[in-house]
Amino acid sequence: MMQDLAKQSRSITSLRDFLELLGDAGQAITWSERVMPEPDVRNIAVAASRDANGAPAIVFDNIAGYPGKRTAVGVHGSWDNIALLLGRPKGTTIRELFFEIAGRWGDAAAQISTVPEARAPVHECRIESGINLYDVLPVYRINEYDGGFYLGKASVASRDPEDLDNFGKQNVGIYRLQLQGPDSFTLMTIPSHDMGRQIMAAERTGLPLKIAVMLGNHPGLAVFAATPIGYEESEYSYASAMMGAPIRLTKSGNGIDILADSEIVIEAEMQLGERVLEGPFGEFPGSYSGVRKAPIFKVTAISHRKNPIFENIYIGRGWTEHDTLIGLHTSAPIYAQLRQNFPEVTAVNALYQHGLTGIISVKNRMAGFAKTVALRALSTPHGVMYLKNLIMVDADVDPFDLNQVMWALSTRTRADDIIVLPNMPAVPIDPSAVVPGKGHRLIIDATSYLPPDPVGEAHLVTPPTGRDIDELSKKIRAMQLGALQ
Amino acid sequence: MSKTVCPRCATGGALDDYQGKEGGKVVWTIHRCPTCCFSWRDSEPASAIDIGIRSADFAVDAANLDRYVKILQQ
Ligand SMILES: [Zn+2]
Repeated sequence: MMQDLAKQSRSITSLRDFLELLGDAGQAITWSERVMPEPDVRNIAVAASRDANGAPAIVFDNIAGYPGKRTAVGVHGSWDNIALLLGRPKGTTIRELFFEIAGRWGDAAAQISTVPEARAPVHECRIESGINLYDVLPVYRINEYDGGFYLGKASVASRDPEDLDNFGKQNVGIYRLQLQGPDSFTLMTIPSHDMGRQIMAAERTGLPLKIAVMLGNHPGLAVFAATPIGYEESEYSYASAMMGAPIRLTKSGNGIDILADSEIVIEAEMQLGERVLEGPFGEFPGSYSGVRKAPIFKVTAISHRKNPIFENIYIGRGWTEHDTLIGLHTSAPIYAQLRQNFPEVTAVNALYQHGLTGIISVKNRMAGFAKTVALRALSTPHGVMYLKNLIMVDADVDPFDLNQVMWALSTRTRADDIIVLPNMPAVPIDPSAVVPGKGHRLIIDATSYLPPDPVGEAHLVTPPTGRDIDELSKKIRAMQLGALQ
Repeated sequence: MSKTVCPRCATGGALDDYQGKEGGKVVWTIHRCPTCCFSWRDSEPASAIDIGIRSADFAVDAANLDRYVKILQQ
């Protein structure tokens, strides 16, 4: 059973494959009742994401004014869907999924194959003149006060304008795109992201910046290419290695490596030096971004599969698909990077709002050691901007079990074990920042006391733990579900 | 210049970007304001597109567009 699931997971090449796999497992549904683009699609997506463990993907195929078009939401919207993507059964715990991903880190090799453009499914249909994005994309307003219609789950591929032939310096990342008329869109990024660097380099040198926007992609790409990795690592190679499966690439019409099996690819070129108003957009902290002037791209061509599926995401005040999509892969790199220096780190939970709050479990080597580990976490690539609140717990506390974390806070935290680091870098969209981009960090040391700390450790009750107990709790849950049927 | 007024910045001259059709009949129209770049569909709930009901917190002052920051400055 487990091996079948793993094999099925490795044979996924496209969104379509994955939707079929999810459908067979009861994790994808088709919504054929007629809906209005607003507010129905949003409302249904939000209602689904209330069930973070078991929500299905939803494919809409009867949206008013978009006859014959399909939109998918919630493809990565639950832990069960993530489990199936990783080749694990429904009901796999978040902790198990975390170690599944952490175990793959740096372990496997990439398998990249190339498909000639003429045989790539993504190029089945091609539009090079009379371009109107609305002809292809059944868009809708994701949150009520968004400034327009957004593509919230687009993977954007580009080459470094100063090093066009370097495969490794190709960037693939998820950026929010706002439609700005039939053949234009704005892209939001910050200078430290790869796309931000490439935009600034193009404008500094006057070199053209061409991009390919991929929609409805291999579901592994969104999971593994959403979080920054080293600038000279290819996200395609990385996603292939982490999935333990081949990835099929082809070329876009404007010469960029793209996934051969994506649903839709939009080719575009940046309008150097131009900026137009972008936003607001309901972002992952659960608040709207401001309105700013962002770079604008002009669409030069669109390729798509026959009867394409437009994949989008609901993002806003949590819990949402954004949290299940990026949560584990935000946590696992921090874990791997910390363990290079501190093998005492036993798990990292950075599921909350892209790691604005993180919980790290560590075997204390000496009194105060957890604080040292916390400071190291702040200097990991993700920690620099995102890890705002850190809770440090002992190795006997599961950071994925918030009841246990609260126990540690209640019984092992002293008020003078809290550190506030004022005026640190912050993600610009954190609404609690002092000014956008600058804010305070908080470390709560909820680990127990060790010498030379004069306060002794309490005499702990040791309830039974371990695999046997995990299996028993799954059995109880299964018996309960069985009883309901 | 069209008479369609933008529900976000109250400026006229909105463009018609697209019409959703079913059996040749127009179901809704997507408009875009060239002044503040707001896009909307005329079938959306009034709370989003009726200037009298929309939250004033999300209004854009068309007379003061300079206040909006340009991202990625060299
Ligand atoms: Zn306007």
